[in-house]
Amino acid sequence: MLSTLELSPQTLDAEAPVRIAVKNLDFYYGEHKALKNINLDFRDRHVTALIGPSGCGKSTLLRIFNRIYSLYPEQKATGEILLDGRNIISNNVDVNELRSRIGMVFQKPTPFPMSIYDNVAFGIRLYEKPPKSELDDRVEGALRRAALWDEVKDKLKSSGMGLSGGQQQRLCIARTIAQKPEVILFDEPTSALDPISTGKIEDLLEQLKSDFTIVIVTHNMQQAARISQYTAFMYLGEVIEFDATNTIFMNPHKKQTQDYVTGRFG
Amino acid sequence: MSAVTDQFAVPSAPVRKTPMGTFDLVFRNASLLAALFVLVLLAGIMVSMVVGGWPAFREFGLGFITSSVWDTQNEQYGAWPAIVGTLSTALIALVVGVPLSLGIAVFLTQLAPPWFKQPVSTAIELLAAVPSIIYGMWGLFVFAPLFAAYVQIPLSSLVEGMPIVGTILYSRSPSGLGILSAGIILAFMIIPFIASITRDMLDQIPSVLRESAYGIGATTWEVVRHVLVPQAGVSIIGAIMLGLGRALGETMAVTFVVGNANRLSASVMDPGSTIASRIANEFNEALGLQLNALIALGCILFFVTFVVLVIARLLVARVKRY
Repeated sequence: MLSTLELSPQTLDAEAPVRIAVKNLDFYYGEHKALKNINLDFRDRHVTALIGPSGCGKSTLLRIFNRIYSLYPEQKATGEILLDGRNIISNNVDVNELRSRIGMVFQKPTPFPMSIYDNVAFGIRLYEKPPKSELDDRVEGALRRAALWDEVKDKLKSSGMGLSGGQQQRLCIARTIAQKPEVILFDEPTSALDPISTGKIEDLLEQLKSDFTIVIVTHNMQQAARISQYTAFMYLGEVIEFDATNTIFMNPHKKQTQDYVTGRFG
Repeated sequence: MSAVTDQFAVPSAPVRKTPMGTFDLVFRNASLLAALFVLVLLAGIMVSMVVGGWPAFREFGLGFITSSVWDTQNEQYGAWPAIVGTLSTALIALVVGVPLSLGIAVFLTQLAPPWFKQPVSTAIELLAAVPSIIYGMWGLFVFAPLFAAYVQIPLSSLVEGMPIVGTILYSRSPSGLGILSAGIILAFMIIPFIASITRDMLDQIPSVLRESAYGIGATTWEVVRHVLVPQAGVSIIGAIMLGLGRALGETMAVTFVVGNANRLSASVMDPGSTIASRIANEFNEALGLQLNALIALGCILFFVTFVVLVIARLLVARVKRY
């Protein structure tokens, strides 16, 4: 049916443990109920894509996992999100510590106003005080994994703001993985980038899934098909269908999913 | 044949003419005149200041700036105590006012619940609208007596005899008036400016940057200290310079509380004077060379504040865009 989509090779492991389990999750912006009864399982060291038309709640869902919504007092979530069995949306969670375990990369590159080196070291220094040599190694390691090392190794002391958009985004990824999180959330990480930078980031995601559980929100269905093993299709605040990516794109069970992935609406 | 040609001919467009609007012409020239007026006004002020102050500069040369004598009987004038007073009151205002302003701005943009944010923001705007004479009267009649009774007197007996602080903080005549009082009143006056500009700068930072700083597990303090303030960086310095510009030139409030003594004292508790307060005090009775000396003082103040404001504008204009 979808000859234009190149699908990722079937590397999904149905036996992989569930890293994040979402149970009966509702989410409110003030009075407005934005997510309705979400139930999803995210498997360890797999890429799960959240797709759906604008306003369907996929970014909203992503922003719950690291409690970014808690910055805004009028937003509230009810239900359960279990990370390794612990409910992360309960009030007695140390939000800062949680965020260091669940990293996030945003739509726009967000380098901090400091040097390239400090951008990567910043997150490490928040929770650990490694000796200088170890810190150097970890910064270099993170920049290498983010495929940025060769481009910046001679200018680690210059500002992160001076890099190109694609480089800035890879810097943000380096900053995130330097903290050694368990889960990385990507919120349309390539929507502000050119095709070449997008390709680099997608290659990177492929590399990262061997170590991290990845959840990615994307508008780009080809991207979802290329890089993810599981896909959830969302519409109007609900999960319409959740399955292996190949099933969602080749053989969806719901009419709405089929209409969306074939481009008939959305 | 002709029918075919007609079919493809471009229909001739109706001729449009820009109406020769006389109003348009008048309007353009009138607005040009209005703009020129500002330049003429500024140039006029500059020229009359320099011309009026010239006799004093010629008479005393560089000594006008470095001399501390202000003797109307013998026609000897020097600006040094007033310059020092101006700079030291402004410096005190910054030392007291900047931390408070930054605290207000950070609180309003990052921490305050929405129901509290609006009243405080409005209060700051209103504080900026209080006329300086009110600050002066309040400083003289309310602040100074309290300051004398609860700060100057206890502090003087505490620091008396101590090295350095015993000089700087000792008040020989605890009246509540002096350089420090003037600096504190000035701080109250510049807080609204610095706080509201800094608040605007912090508000302009895209929320995604703030979210990503929180997103790697930074606390509010770390986000503010390492990401938001450096991001707004140069603009905050610009806001501080704007406050400095106001503190340097402020006249009425300072004249009320500075004590108006022409002397250099090592103690910030002692009365002194600033350029603006000196001019305000003496202009009425000034004649001849004294008048020239006052105008020359004005020249110096004009130059200093002008430079500060230009730097401030340049820095504020450099808001980093995302």
